[in-house]
Amino acid sequence: MSSIKSVVISCAGIGSRLGLGQTKALIKVNGRSLIAWQLELLKEVEDIRIVIGYQANDIIEEVLKYRNDVVFVYNHRYFETKTGASFYLGAQHGNDFAIEWDGDLLVHPDDVKTILNTEGEFICYAEKSSDEAVYVQTDDKGNVLAFSRETGDYEWTGPACIMRDKIKYSSGNVFNQLEPYLPLKGIKIRAYDIDTYSDYTRVMEITKNWI
Amino acid sequence: MNTDTKPVMFIFDLDGTVTSEETLPLIANHFKVEEEIENLTKETIQGNIPFVESFIRRVFILGKLPVSEVADLLETTKLYPHLLEFIQTHRDNCAIATGNLECWSYKLLQKIGCAYYCSDSIVENNKVVKLTKILRKEQIVENYQQEGYKVVFIGDGNNDLEAMRVADIAISVGTTHYPSKSILPITDYLIFNEEALCRQLSQLL
Repeated sequence: MSSIKSVVISCAGIGSRLGLGQTKALIKVNGRSLIAWQLELLKEVEDIRIVIGYQANDIIEEVLKYRNDVVFVYNHRYFETKTGASFYLGAQHGNDFAIEWDGDLLVHPDDVKTILNTEGEFICYAEKSSDEAVYVQTDDKGNVLAFSRETGDYEWTGPACIMRDKIKYSSGNVFNQLEPYLPLKGIKIRAYDIDTYSDYTRVMEITKNWI
Repeated sequence: MNTDTKPVMFIFDLDGTVTSEETLPLIANHFKVEEEIENLTKETIQGNIPFVESFIRRVFILGKLPVSEVADLLETTKLYPHLLEFIQTHRDNCAIATGNLECWSYKLLQKIGCAYYCSDSIVENNKVVKLTKILRKEQIVENYQQEGYKVVFIGDGNNDLEAMRVADIAISVGTTHYPSKSILPITDYLIFNEEALCRQLSQLL
């Protein structure tokens, strides 16, 4: 992959909707913690920046079992901020381009390769599968034209890649940070996020033979 | 890359940050005063004994040792090679702030080759007879900020806490030992690997 990109993995949140009593980075999916999944899928990436907040010490301990050359970025205000703040903090002193990667999103290994081999800026989306999704509206070439809470062709899942200096601090979500720069190149991927317990059981089944 | 208009100044703690071994145990082992020092060091790193108190007690124990021999010994302290290279390549943007006495550390610090700030003492007959200044690292940070620098402080111990709080960017390192838990709540970046640290420093230039 291009050496000028950093990958920012957001793991600062509480994961309250899932209800398993711990931050999502540490929940086990087919015997492996979610953060361990990410580190395995992203093992070719040199500059990994993991944004931590809730249960930071536990995540650090888990990450260090796999690799020690990541940069941990603290989002001390994790309780009152969302993914937009974590992405900004994680990207601001990284490489020229930042790929945002939700810690609770599992991307098919082949699609991870596509993402890492794609130059420039882009937004990834998947077939609709969640109940409470944000959707993307695309043109006939698959470029992303708009985000919408109501309607769209696909579900916004991330990852997304954008120039670091375009990322402004936001009290909202990552898609709010991307909106001013639309349209952007789109990539359709197989990706599943884990927000609720039913997502969790579904993803366990889907990812059985992924690694 | 630093897109700010301000120049960057990297201020490093010395022990366990630029050196890959702690200097105090090195002195203690060499002069066979391990027992007295070991417990003090442990308690200090963990934040159980305030740094200033610990430092005064330490100087009282080690001040009797021949100063020139301590300086020669410390000159041999192992350093992180890539970090040393970074500092020497960017020496005008790097400084070291160490609570150690200058009379003990100057040979090591001159070998590193950037600006340095230490605690001071009066030496007579090759022994430390009086402690005259205990370095407050946060003052060094503030001085550089007043000169117009954006200050990045890199440290690992409880005695770096105030400097890291004042600095524009605080990097905690766990390359030699796990950083003091007390500094994590004011830390921006936590790094456990020398290459990753050098990468982050280069990104901040």
